[in-house]
Amino acid sequence: MQTIYAEHSRHDETYINPLPVRIWHWINALGFVLLILTGVQLRYVDLFNVMSFEAAVELHNWVGFTVIANYFIWLGYYLFSDRIKVYHPELDARKFFRTWFQQVRYYSYGIFKGEKSPHNVLPYDKFNPMQMVTYQLVMLVAVPVQFITGIMMWDVKRFEVWVEILGGLRVVNTIHVLMFILFVFFILVHAYMGALGKKPSTHFKEMFTGYEEQD
Amino acid sequence: MTIRSKMGGTRRDTRGVIRASAALLISLVIPGVLLLASPAEAGTASEPGVKSDIKCLKCHSKNRKKTLEDGEELSLHVAKAEYANSVHGEIGCTACHQAIANKKHPSRDPISSRRELSVALNQSCRSCHAENYQQYEGSIHARLVADGNHAAPVCTDCHSAHRVESMEVYQPVTGLPCKNCHENIFDAYAQSVHGGARVNGNVIRPSHIQAPICADCHQAHEVTAVAASDHLTSICLDCHEEASLAHNEWLPNAGLHLDVVSCAACHAPLAERRVNLELYDNIAQLPVGQHESHAAFEKRLDAIDEANDGLDPVELWKLVRESSQAGQATDITLRGRMEVSSGVDAHRLAVKTSAVRNCDSCHRKGSDAFQNVTVSITRADGRSLRYEADQEILSSIVSVDSVSNFYAPGGTRIKLLDVLLVLSLIGGLAIPIGHITMGRIVKARKEEGEQ
Repeated sequence: MQTIYAEHSRHDETYINPLPVRIWHWINALGFVLLILTGVQLRYVDLFNVMSFEAAVELHNWVGFTVIANYFIWLGYYLFSDRIKVYHPELDARKFFRTWFQQVRYYSYGIFKGEKSPHNVLPYDKFNPMQMVTYQLVMLVAVPVQFITGIMMWDVKRFEVWVEILGGLRVVNTIHVLMFILFVFFILVHAYMGALGKKPSTHFKEMFTGYEEQD
Repeated sequence: MTIRSKMGGTRRDTRGVIRASAALLISLVIPGVLLLASPAEAGTASEPGVKSDIKCLKCHSKNRKKTLEDGEELSLHVAKAEYANSVHGEIGCTACHQAIANKKHPSRDPISSRRELSVALNQSCRSCHAENYQQYEGSIHARLVADGNHAAPVCTDCHSAHRVESMEVYQPVTGLPCKNCHENIFDAYAQSVHGGARVNGNVIRPSHIQAPICADCHQAHEVTAVAASDHLTSICLDCHEEASLAHNEWLPNAGLHLDVVSCAACHAPLAERRVNLELYDNIAQLPVGQHESHAAFEKRLDAIDEANDGLDPVELWKLVRESSQAGQATDITLRGRMEVSSGVDAHRLAVKTSAVRNCDSCHRKGSDAFQNVTVSITRADGRSLRYEADQEILSSIVSVDSVSNFYAPGGTRIKLLDVLLVLSLIGGLAIPIGHITMGRIVKARKEEGEQ
């Protein structure tokens, strides 16, 4: 293992996020923010007037398709590289739950006591158990649900059979808005937790350079 | 022999020529005289074309009257010249008044009312105008007549009884005969882009086809109850062939908009709009109310909306659920459609540049377009029976089930989701703020402890 990591390390830093992941992440981040802002504009024309409804629809659609295309960069990269291990470094449920609780304890108690995070970031084991669960739910459930419902609403007539199967346009929209509400919460908490590295800038820097500072 | 023959032949030939000349003269002159004498050919007839009619008109050109059972006096007078000049002047009185030919006339049989006589005589039209009559029988007019509506027209109400005129008479913008009953609607039409174009020689734009008059959209004989159907959109698109593509160029989900928003809702910009939710059976592929008596439906409605204050979201949900249970193998849904509240306003179609193009006018919370909501069933004759509903049904979470197919982003957004969004924002901010605060408190205590 040491041999493998050595080629990904420089000095006291470890190469955690390869370029495709970083490109995907920041396009996704920008896309999410734009989709949330244009979504708010679409839904709350009576409260906000940053742009016209028509322009908001246009931008929402373009950004939406960009995020969908970007999703497949993420999916393709992980499906066709050995990096998929980051989501399941060890398929051991008991160990997973034990470390998950350790991580929850760390964020809710240990961090205040100055304890070190129980999870050590490594190239093939970069996510702590909380991240592992959350990111998989987001990427394998929430994002696909969001882009499928979004595509249906982009051209309702074209997908009317699917809209009907899901229960109608209002049902499709309600699912889309529920996911949007979830993403609003996720982005706020995700951005904050990104600042809980060794230094507040550690994880942000890591997402730009790919390198994680080591102890 | 040769000479006699010649001589005899010459005499016979001479007689033949005289006979032939006379025949030619007769064949040319007599029809010519008849032709000149023919009032019909002369353009204005003073006598009917059928000889027996002269006998009828001997009496019916006089101001005779018959007292009907309802007390009204029915004039038996027929204006001879008008009848003779009508398109029916050539067919004879008994072509329509068939019973008279078979009975002693004048008959002593009582006639209960003028209306009863008109309805009975209406059948005569069928014998010559079978196709038009069949179309009429399927119309809302005929169904209203059958329902005993005394204002609904029979053939003669539009075409007159003895002054029957050709189609061309109805072409100019006089509004007749529709205006006789639909005056307000015709006045609105006359001021519309269509009516205005018609008056001004159909000049909407160069090479434009003729602007429509009533029958072009509503059909002359197969008049349907337009409020209950969306067929008028396709009729609009028949002339405005480019409209679908034109909407596609700028309007997101243009096809959906054309399906669920009536043309007039945007193209009659000053009209008041409403949302109508039509109860529809997905299995039978028919609106609810086609077979069920509306009295039974109203009874069910009254039981659900006991306060009679308009259907609220829960009451509507119950209505949809109970409508599904009432029949066998039914799948009842609500088909939403934005339309113009008044039939008069629906005819105030404006020029294209005046049409509503501002998305905010519908996609804004509190939009006027969503303040009036009705729930309807559709009777077999095509007429809608509408019931008031609370506009809250468009923004209630309960409606995700009952009004599952009608949704306008922004305009009909669900309140509970707004609450959840606020909670997620509060939660998303509370976690970092709480976490940072907790960290500072722990750090402060630790420092105090160290001191």
